[in-house]
Amino acid sequence: MLEAARLPSAQARNADAPVQWGIGLLAVLLILFPIAPILYQSVLARPIYEPTRTLTLANYARILTSSEFHATVLNSALLGLATTIAAVALGTLLAVLVMRTDMPARGVLGGLIISPLFISPLVLAFAWVTMFGPQGYVTIALRTITGSDPWNLYSLAGIAVVSIFYYAPYAYLNAAASLSLSDPTVEDAARIAGATPLRTLMTVTLPLLRPAMTYSALLVGIGSLELLSIPLILGTPSGVDTLSTLLVKLGVMGGRPDYGAVAAVATLLLIVVSGLIVAQERFIGAGQRFVTVKGKAIAPRPFAIGPLRFAAVALCLAYVLVGVVMPLGGILLRSVVGFLSPLANPLESLTLEHYQLVFQTESYRRSILNSLLIAGIGGGVGIVFMALLALVTYRSELSWRRLLGFVALYPRAVPGIIVGIGFLWSFVLIRPLGNLRNTIFALAAAFIMRYIPYGFSIISPTLTRISRELDNAARVCGDGWTGAMRRVLLPILGPALVTGWVLLFITFLKEYSSAVFLFARGSEVIGTTMLALWRQGDMGPVSVLAAVQVIVILTVIAVMRYGFKVRLYG
Amino acid sequence: MADVIIENLVKRYGEVTAVDHVSLAVQSGELLSLLGPSGCGKTTTLMSIAGLERPDEGRILAAGEVLTDAGQRVFLPPERRELGMVFQSYALWPHMTVANNVAYGLRTRRAPHAQIRDRVDEVLGLVQLEGMGARYPYQLSGGQQQRVALARALVYQPRILLLDEPLSNLDAKLREQARVWLRELQQRLKITAIYVTHDQAEALGLSDRIAVMSRGRIVQLGTPRDIYERPSDPFVADFIGQASFLPGLVESAAAGRVRVRLRNGQELSIESAAAWETGAQVLVAVRPERVLPAEGRTENVLTGAVRSHLYLGARHQYVFDIGELELRIEAADELPPGQGRVYVPPQAATLLRQASA
Repeated sequence: MLEAARLPSAQARNADAPVQWGIGLLAVLLILFPIAPILYQSVLARPIYEPTRTLTLANYARILTSSEFHATVLNSALLGLATTIAAVALGTLLAVLVMRTDMPARGVLGGLIISPLFISPLVLAFAWVTMFGPQGYVTIALRTITGSDPWNLYSLAGIAVVSIFYYAPYAYLNAAASLSLSDPTVEDAARIAGATPLRTLMTVTLPLLRPAMTYSALLVGIGSLELLSIPLILGTPSGVDTLSTLLVKLGVMGGRPDYGAVAAVATLLLIVVSGLIVAQERFIGAGQRFVTVKGKAIAPRPFAIGPLRFAAVALCLAYVLVGVVMPLGGILLRSVVGFLSPLANPLESLTLEHYQLVFQTESYRRSILNSLLIAGIGGGVGIVFMALLALVTYRSELSWRRLLGFVALYPRAVPGIIVGIGFLWSFVLIRPLGNLRNTIFALAAAFIMRYIPYGFSIISPTLTRISRELDNAARVCGDGWTGAMRRVLLPILGPALVTGWVLLFITFLKEYSSAVFLFARGSEVIGTTMLALWRQGDMGPVSVLAAVQVIVILTVIAVMRYGFKVRLYG
Repeated sequence: MADVIIENLVKRYGEVTAVDHVSLAVQSGELLSLLGPSGCGKTTTLMSIAGLERPDEGRILAAGEVLTDAGQRVFLPPERRELGMVFQSYALWPHMTVANNVAYGLRTRRAPHAQIRDRVDEVLGLVQLEGMGARYPYQLSGGQQQRVALARALVYQPRILLLDEPLSNLDAKLREQARVWLRELQQRLKITAIYVTHDQAEALGLSDRIAVMSRGRIVQLGTPRDIYERPSDPFVADFIGQASFLPGLVESAAAGRVRVRLRNGQELSIESAAAWETGAQVLVAVRPERVLPAEGRTENVLTGAVRSHLYLGARHQYVFDIGELELRIEAADELPPGQGRVYVPPQAATLLRQASA
């Protein structure tokens, strides 16, 4: 038995340490790449690309004493507060109704309620403009009846309402996840102790949701502070600015960009968001900012809420109708008609001219292709890189891997618009990289950097569930770290990588805020082209691009769900 | 085959010292068990040998080669140690067939294809899994998975086999069969093996020697018979099998016989090779199954009363009150209820020094 000569032992695998260091350093550099030039520029007197570099605090002084900045901070604070409170309340209420009551049609409604997650906030803003803007379909219809404007979407309140509809699904998902994980017997215990269903709901179910609600509040608060598109589309016409639109105004629109002011505002915003992230981190362990694939919910006994359930259905339907069906239906319809107005039958102006325009104009067509390339290839490269980063962080013996885990999650604190500014400046500063500046590689790198924490949060739950004994066994069998990762862990992570790739595809396809500064002629993406067309007042082609984005994403989700039986989100 | 030498191994996790100056020499071809309750440091010791933990102090050598020397900052990664290991969860790779699982260690050693095929077949035969190569781990029973794990660890002829509670995931019946089978295989291959377990019956049945560990230290090292019959301290006596501990004082000691006055005034005479001074505080450890009915004997007889009785099928278990002390008794025959007298054979009890309070 086993008498054959012993085989030579495994070769010394000196590649392990360089591989781990390489992945770690690449991540650190990618994350510092956009942040460093912003911090530097904020204390420079002249634009960063000029040879004279004088240090100064004048940028901060100028910003902090400007009344425009004060008004902006106030707007952002009000918007953040209103959006947070209302979106968390609405999302949590909807989650309780769908997950815990005997309301009819809960399954269908649950899916519809989270559908805004698949829509870029930019598309949502255009969709609301189409229906509820000053020249929107519904607005005009009501105006003809009542003789006056029912509301003004181009206001801080309008921005808040659309933001609430955009963020409510996030609060819904957190609450639903918490409800599906919580032990239903605690509710049974309350019932047996004599509590009515309503009382149980109020005294047991809702208090148990408090951690999820606090978490959602921080998530929505951070999101609404850095959100660019909704305030940009709805606030610009009436001059309502938030911190993120102020950055665009100072840096892109208008004549000469004020580099110092942009950097100072960006730095202040970074500090505030970092503070909120630290608060969030304290609150719940890292890595959960982005809600990802959840396990199947176990269905506990629903509460019988009697006739109230019809009111509940009405509420859910109203939310879905106003928040999803009408705006999306409107923008899809807008893309195939000459003009959309209650005063004329839209079917009479049916046309494909907007589609022809978009697909026959090279730069428009190119922006769709660029978006698909960045989402497909960039997303694929991105998820692999993020998985390698997670492997180094969780499964290597790199001495600074804890620090690396912390660094990898930091981009959460960097608003997209700041990522874009920082990348642009770094490309300008670092001459050898200048050639990449106007290509989609620059955009892909920026998107990957921005969503490292997202990819991390998709991979790490699966990774931490894989027993360490599996890689240890490979090591004892004579394989080095790199081999064990390549031959054992990555193949086991395969399904998570595919899911992650699809989620990154959707995310990258929607992403535009980090592209606003960074894109150039030749590297347009759907979002930047929509913004450019909107500035020209051309809502027809904007609707076409929005429709293309929505249709591609819905197709991907449908293929995943029905073709591969993978449910993304909820 | 090789011997393993561990010298002054220390591993700390923050404030906790998981392994506290452990030294051990494992002979070539021997199966040595590390036995102890969870948290005693046995697994950490094994992981240090495997190179999956980095010790803070001490050295580990295998066949004269230094695997780890914390003082010299020598640390061979696990893949360079030429060890085989069977993990508690088996750690079979779910995405590979049985054959690919087993072949892994040969592939990393860049063995030629034909040789890999032959060796995999041979080893699968050795663990009685002929023809199962194309299956996936999830298609196998627990016992089969455990044997695949063993085949994977043996295929490249490691110099030492490390086993981390390999039988703990099997159900009781299967575990006993696997124990016998594993022992036979180890003796046939004459491979040096280090076996971690918290199951005393497993350690007693399998091992050439047992190192009983507690709180990061080896408290007793010896053959299964030594450990069971001559436990060196109350922890070992209590952990291996069962024992009653009767506190008392040494009255006199002469010619291998020690006379002990128990705290309740009754006296026992115990065989002991050690030297005991008069007045020493001691514990008399008595195995429940070694206590017999008195049946007319007068020496070494304790008087008391049966307090409780459990019927276990083949045996009876009693708690026997002797004054304020209690003696556990396990007997094939039924004792009469109420007052009674029991006999403790002089060679059946062990004298342990009581730590002065």
